[in-house]
Amino acid sequence: MKVPVSWLKEYVDFDASPEELAKKLTFSGTEVESIQTIGGDFKGVVVGEVRSIEKHPGADNLLVCKVNSGREEVSVVCGAHNFNVGDKAPLALVGAELPNGMKIEERKVRGVISMGMLCAEDELGLSDDHSGIMLVSRNIPAGTPFSEVAGPPETVLSVEITWNRPDCLSIIGMAREVAALFRTSIKLPSVDFMERGEPVEMLADVDLQDVEGCPRYTARVLTDIKLKPSPSWMQKRLTLCGVRPINNVVDITNYVLLECGQPLHAFDYELLTDHKIIVRRGHTGEKMTTLDGIERQGLEKSVLITDPARAVALAGVMGGAGSEINDNTRNVLLESAFFHPPDIRRTSSKLGLSTESSYRFERGVDIGGVEWASRRATALMVEHADAVAAQGVIDVYPNKRPEKKIKCRFQSVKNLLGVDVADEEIVNIIKSLEFSITGCKKDHCVVGVPTFRPDIEIEADLIEEVARIHGLDKVPTIVPQARVVVDADDSVTRATIACRSNLIGLGLMEIMNYSFLSEQLLNAISSADIDSRVVLPNPVSSDYAVMRNSLIPQMVDTLGRNLAHQVDSVSLFEIGKVFLKDNNNKISEENHLCIGLMGKSGRAGLNKCKPVEREEIFLWLKGVIEALAVSQHVGNLVFKPLNCSRMDADGAVSIEMNGHVCGVMGLVKQEIRKKWRMIEPVAVAEMNMVALIQWIFTPFELHSIPVYPSVSRDVAMVVDENVRHDDILKIIKKAAPQELTGIELFDIFRSEHIGACKKSMAYSLVYRSLERTLTDEDANRYHEIIKEALRKELKAEIREGK
Amino acid sequence: MTAEEIIKLKENALKECQAAGTMNELEAVRVRYIGRNGYLPQVMKGLKDVDPSERSEYGRIANEFKNQVSAALDYKKTELAERGTAEAKSVFDYSLPGVWRSLGTKHPISSIIEETVRIFGKLGFTVAEGPDVETAYHNFEALNTPAHHPSLDQTDTFWFETGELLRTQTSPVQIRVMESRKPPIRIITPGRCYRRDTTDATHSANFHQIEGLYVEKNVSLADLKGTLAYFAKEMMGTGVDIRFRPHFFPFTEPSVECDFTCHVCGGKGCRVCKNSGWIEIAGAGMVDPRVFKKVGYDPEEITGYAFGMGIERIAMIKYSINDIRLLYENDARFLSQFI
Repeated sequence: MKVPVSWLKEYVDFDASPEELAKKLTFSGTEVESIQTIGGDFKGVVVGEVRSIEKHPGADNLLVCKVNSGREEVSVVCGAHNFNVGDKAPLALVGAELPNGMKIEERKVRGVISMGMLCAEDELGLSDDHSGIMLVSRNIPAGTPFSEVAGPPETVLSVEITWNRPDCLSIIGMAREVAALFRTSIKLPSVDFMERGEPVEMLADVDLQDVEGCPRYTARVLTDIKLKPSPSWMQKRLTLCGVRPINNVVDITNYVLLECGQPLHAFDYELLTDHKIIVRRGHTGEKMTTLDGIERQGLEKSVLITDPARAVALAGVMGGAGSEINDNTRNVLLESAFFHPPDIRRTSSKLGLSTESSYRFERGVDIGGVEWASRRATALMVEHADAVAAQGVIDVYPNKRPEKKIKCRFQSVKNLLGVDVADEEIVNIIKSLEFSITGCKKDHCVVGVPTFRPDIEIEADLIEEVARIHGLDKVPTIVPQARVVVDADDSVTRATIACRSNLIGLGLMEIMNYSFLSEQLLNAISSADIDSRVVLPNPVSSDYAVMRNSLIPQMVDTLGRNLAHQVDSVSLFEIGKVFLKDNNNKISEENHLCIGLMGKSGRAGLNKCKPVEREEIFLWLKGVIEALAVSQHVGNLVFKPLNCSRMDADGAVSIEMNGHVCGVMGLVKQEIRKKWRMIEPVAVAEMNMVALIQWIFTPFELHSIPVYPSVSRDVAMVVDENVRHDDILKIIKKAAPQELTGIELFDIFRSEHIGACKKSMAYSLVYRSLERTLTDEDANRYHEIIKEALRKELKAEIREGK
Repeated sequence: MTAEEIIKLKENALKECQAAGTMNELEAVRVRYIGRNGYLPQVMKGLKDVDPSERSEYGRIANEFKNQVSAALDYKKTELAERGTAEAKSVFDYSLPGVWRSLGTKHPISSIIEETVRIFGKLGFTVAEGPDVETAYHNFEALNTPAHHPSLDQTDTFWFETGELLRTQTSPVQIRVMESRKPPIRIITPGRCYRRDTTDATHSANFHQIEGLYVEKNVSLADLKGTLAYFAKEMMGTGVDIRFRPHFFPFTEPSVECDFTCHVCGGKGCRVCKNSGWIEIAGAGMVDPRVFKKVGYDPEEITGYAFGMGIERIAMIKYSINDIRLLYENDARFLSQFI
């Protein structure tokens, strides 16, 4: 909201610079966002009289004007068209410097000399208006310095009003704050006027049918109005606050809105059927056209101001077309009312229509000040629109509430703030905010809450008032005392942090994707999951339309986008939630880990030219998972072949940890990779975090270091290509004595010499006894048994001679 | 050959070995003493001519000759080899790139969360977490947010057809914790939140918050100030101070906004802090008694404070990141710097 300081000073005396005032306001809860100076000395700007207007010979949309500057006639090229010969406007002469920094020089515009500039309001820093040049009264003599027309410069504060303080959405409300900060009081303007007309009840009628939506409605009637421009001081204040002056009646309603925060509406009295106002809810299917010419639908449940024939205003939001002030208006019905904030909010957001009026009503105006605002506007109309005010006011206020009273205990204030505020200071602060003290005891006072402070409901609200006026800088900084909450458990967080560290230790880079993604991306990976998708009914855009049910789609996309950035080797992981929907539409969440490898990420050293093999990248990923499982204390990790729509048929496995299936890993199908132009294989894995974190704090058993030395024997065998490492392990383990303590595959070798579809696999076996030192003979004996088993079960040719 | 002769021979061999200056000289020594046609075969041959009573003594001396001379030759050989390497032009290239897998990197959002958890952990706070898909009750109503508050607006919140929503703040976790246990409470709640903001340089529809809640007997605004002041120094640096400005949140009373001294200029004013010397970091306040009543706590018995901060905002300020989208684009060229 804009607060011109000169206007503020009309209601409250204070001695402070705008900067000091801004600081005080900011640190008492009304944040001043900017301090703006509007206007200035306007050196070199005078009132110019347009003497002639001709088209520019070289440009269709430019004009060449002769302008009387008071001293001489100058030729000026102008782009605006909103004026006629005889009009007067601010003329910046050669040498002038405008508030926006523009320097006026003699220059040629498309071949025509221009000796100055006719100014728009924005060029003079008076408003944002650039719709045309600013016109001033024709009565002002040409050559008058513009500073005399514009008046002294004005300081305007831009303040941010928090949602709970609708009272501050007005100059008087701000004045109350200032008065409290400077411990002074405010002066309200006069609302006295002569009621010369007929009794208002004879002229109009109000039928308040919806007391819930409209707890208070007042109406006055003003007759014999003369529409004309409002006084220049009023126009200036409106302009400073960003409101465009229109005519005296409309300007006065806007002025009072800005002054005290009460939105008013002026109807053309003659356009109200039977001169009757009915306040009711909209009927199903009811429509009306608002002032902006838009037909509004869906008004059922909205509070409407109607006459017996039609709706005449969308209560608290906008007036209706056909009953508004127009050039022929002579008599006015002035509405001042209080509408139920949630109703206004609902109507405003449903229609996507926010106005100065709805903005205030939805936050809550001063129900006690409704009639004052009506009087204030009437007084101004009597004075500035020659209006004849009818006698009295129609004021329908059926459920007037008694004043709200709250007990404020002095000790509670001190305890909650941790500041020792003196009892008298508490009372003084409360009083300075125009609260009434209706009783004051030794340890507490009883506070009466004025109607303009709907936000004050309980003692804590009063404590906040004391805190902000007393000053939060006076709250001491107490060194925190670490006290343990004994049974609090954050093992999940600690385990997750450990898991993240371990992944980073394994060389992976952490990524973070949004929790929602596009349907397109999901479908690019798989459509098999369509039933479990949680779709957002109101997404920001179609890119974020579905909650993720797997981390893999975004992982693949991330790899692909990095590849597009010429980053061809990365190893990534993400820890994040996925969202799943069951048959009953119940949404559940799981924490997942996703790992994605691309390029030569698993290769260290100089061995980087060779293309990455499918099996190679798969095994890198498997290695990461194995290492991670060990570091997370997962005892038993098993991979089993799996069919997965997103992965290669031979390159997909399920991951089992300690007997529970907890994830999948594999190679992304080529047809999916193709969409991101990924030529080389890409490996991804996704698993549930529960499996990875649940055993990390399980105590483990410590094994003693072996006492006796081990004996190692190698075995190399030629087997068919389709024999798996797993098959060999099984045979060895089955045949082995208990002294076999280690099996390591150390070479796979293929050559013509061995034969097609054959491979040589070499294992190193370690034998050790817990009771004695094994002899060579022992080891040879064990080894022979195993070799024999391999020969028999695999038809393996054991390669001797090593 | 007698035992004495062998000993003499050995001493000569060792001397010559020591004196050898080149590999060739050393090789000559080897050939002369222990080569196939050198002294050693003669020594060994002599064994059978020795009187049986002296044979074992002779054997020991002969073995000693063989072993000591061999050892001396080996030693000298290594020595000469090393000297040679040192003198010759070395081909060893220490400047080749090291060969070991490098560490990965932590996402800056995780870094800030972990750091915050660590700092508050020192003050006795433990982590609590809750669902992202929340009930309107936990996200709004229980937090004293009026039914017509702007944040309940359809345009700000992601609603599901079930009537549930994506939490707009991590505050519902506070409610869940208070519903499930009695004071004292000392929790910190990192997590994802969602608002229907159109994404731009400073807004993201998906963001992270971390909130703290402390409920005990006699907790005051001064305790809150001390706690946030400690956090500010730990997170941003020892020179960083805090200040409070009054503000409004529906679930705290009084409510404050907390500014940190700009860590870039130290409060003098710079581009980062828009010349104010301060940066707005947290919203905070004393828990509104109406919130306590909702969870069945007696506000006459206990008081508490709560605070909340945007993780992305802290990360952006701490690491001078000028566009929030960088945090979610997952460009390896950006993330790899957070080592």
